Amino acid sequence: MSVAKGRSINWNVGVRAVVAVICTFLFIAPVLWMVTTAFKTGNQAFSGEIQWFFTPTLENFAEVLGGTRLTYALINSLQVSVISSIVAILLASGIAYPLARYEFRGRDHIAGTILSLRIVPPIVTIIPLFLLMRTIGLNGSLLSIIILHVFMNLPLAVWLLRGFYEDVPKEIEEAGAIDGLGSIGIFFRMVLPLAMPGVASTALLCFVFSWNEFLFASVLSNAGSQTVTVALTQYVTPVGTEWTLIMAAGTVVAVPVWLAALAAQKYLVRGLSLGAVK
Amino acid sequence: MTTTLTESRARKAIRPSGAPKGRRPKKLGRYLAMSPGLLFLAAISIYPTLYSLVVSFMRWNLSSGEAARFVGLDNFVGLLTDGLFWNSVRVTLVFVFFSVLIELVLTFGLALLFFRGFPGDKLLRALIMMPMLCAPVVVGLLARFSLEPTYGIVNQLMRSIGLPTTEFLGNVDLALPTLIAIDVWQWSPFLFLILLAAMQGIPEEVIEASKIDGASWPRIIWHQFLPLLRYPILVGVLLRLIDSFRVYDIVYMTTRGGPVDATSTMSWQIYNVGFRAFNISYAAAFSWLLLLLVLLAVNSLIRRMVARS
Repeated sequence: MSVAKGRSINWNVGVRAVVAVICTFLFIAPVLWMVTTAFKTGNQAFSGEIQWFFTPTLENFAEVLGGTRLTYALINSLQVSVISSIVAILLASGIAYPLARYEFRGRDHIAGTILSLRIVPPIVTIIPLFLLMRTIGLNGSLLSIIILHVFMNLPLAVWLLRGFYEDVPKEIEEAGAIDGLGSIGIFFRMVLPLAMPGVASTALLCFVFSWNEFLFASVLSNAGSQTVTVALTQYVTPVGTEWTLIMAAGTVVAVPVWLAALAAQKYLVRGLSLGAVK
Repeated sequence: MTTTLTESRARKAIRPSGAPKGRRPKKLGRYLAMSPGLLFLAAISIYPTLYSLVVSFMRWNLSSGEAARFVGLDNFVGLLTDGLFWNSVRVTLVFVFFSVLIELVLTFGLALLFFRGFPGDKLLRALIMMPMLCAPVVVGLLARFSLEPTYGIVNQLMRSIGLPTTEFLGNVDLALPTLIAIDVWQWSPFLFLILLAAMQGIPEEVIEASKIDGASWPRIIWHQFLPLLRYPILVGVLLRLIDSFRVYDIVYMTTRGGPVDATSTMSWQIYNVGFRAFNISYAAAFSWLLLLLVLLAVNSLIRRMVARS
């Protein structure tokens, strides 16, 4: 990206930078406040003044993670998010690769139908699926949440992976065919490694959406299968000065997502826009 | 005749994979690859959708021992004469319209601010993403804490510039605007990233050519940017519309539909009816009306998006 050299543009840089810093601060101030409060003692947090500088303490984190409920929920969420993302990627690849590579009847129709599933509000999906899970006895299990998270992430994954597989040059496959590889061999030994950065980013996005999901998890989980978002609802009516603990819990839940987003940064915009903006 | 036959036979012998016979298994292969995913999607969407439609014509309360029975259009008639239903429609439409509109206008300006670049812009762009990456449940907790009257950062800041302490979430008139503000805060970064990436994708020559023609920046933005950004804006707005229609988590964590149903969105109301009052058939009918409303709102947009790709 070349920056234009016009005088008016240069004059503007300083002003734009200052306004941008102020805007950015408005977006991150509450998050910063959450994270700093998580490191405060009750007295520091409730002094009536905003303190940005203080001696940090880890006791909130110790208490939040020592209390078994959030710890169990973290383990549950990790299982749900990792398994559902992997399954979503596998199922989606099966659909996305043929969509990306072959012309066939109904191709656009399949892609469009899958995308349209993204429109359905989750509250519409959960009512019959809750009844179904109840009937087959999966209610309250991690498996039921995993199934719904795979369902939730599949349309996104199909649309993203389709784009990433299209980006792999076609000649690669021809080379593979000459080497005597079959379609499966070509996909796993040549296409997948080349598309790996995109595939990994897609998996990370699926992980984030699964980790942050609340409605499905809250309806389908029981005391033993709570995910982190469900476990956080215990803090919805705070008692006294529990806020430092609550902010520590919120930070613990947010950090894995920040890390995942950092890792997927290159393809984040493409992923969030379902591949529409590259 | 005979020569062509032998020729083709010979070709088959040389390139077995290119022969017509080899094509069938290949085609079969692609359907085999697609089938697990497609069957999964069909199983989790078609069957439950139809089931939900059937349930919406029944009377079925999970908490009562009574067996489910068909009642025809009773649920739908009930809904259309239910004040709480219409209230939730109004709350949802107000929420969706204002949050998406404000987000679009705000982020268009913000993206214009960033797209020419300045020292440190990449860092700021990465930081701006933070609200969007927090789970809505976390944002809900954070909002409660931030807006808390005594210790909340918002009220502390307001007091420091002489404004009165305000109960944002407990006030009938302020609760919904506050929820909209929370949504704008959390999801503007999403539209911002899309618009910024799209603006940076505009070829430099387009801008240069307009400038040589003597066009001012507002003119360039209006006549060059908007037409070129139509597709990214379409996608961004579509995704925001779809997501804001389902708003639930934030309501659950902050206002619980109150005060006096001022923030009772459709998703929230359906949850209440179905999973608190256990009137599952009424909730099913309700959810069908929500789906229809969403389809009505995004139908033309999604058609354009699919046609474009």
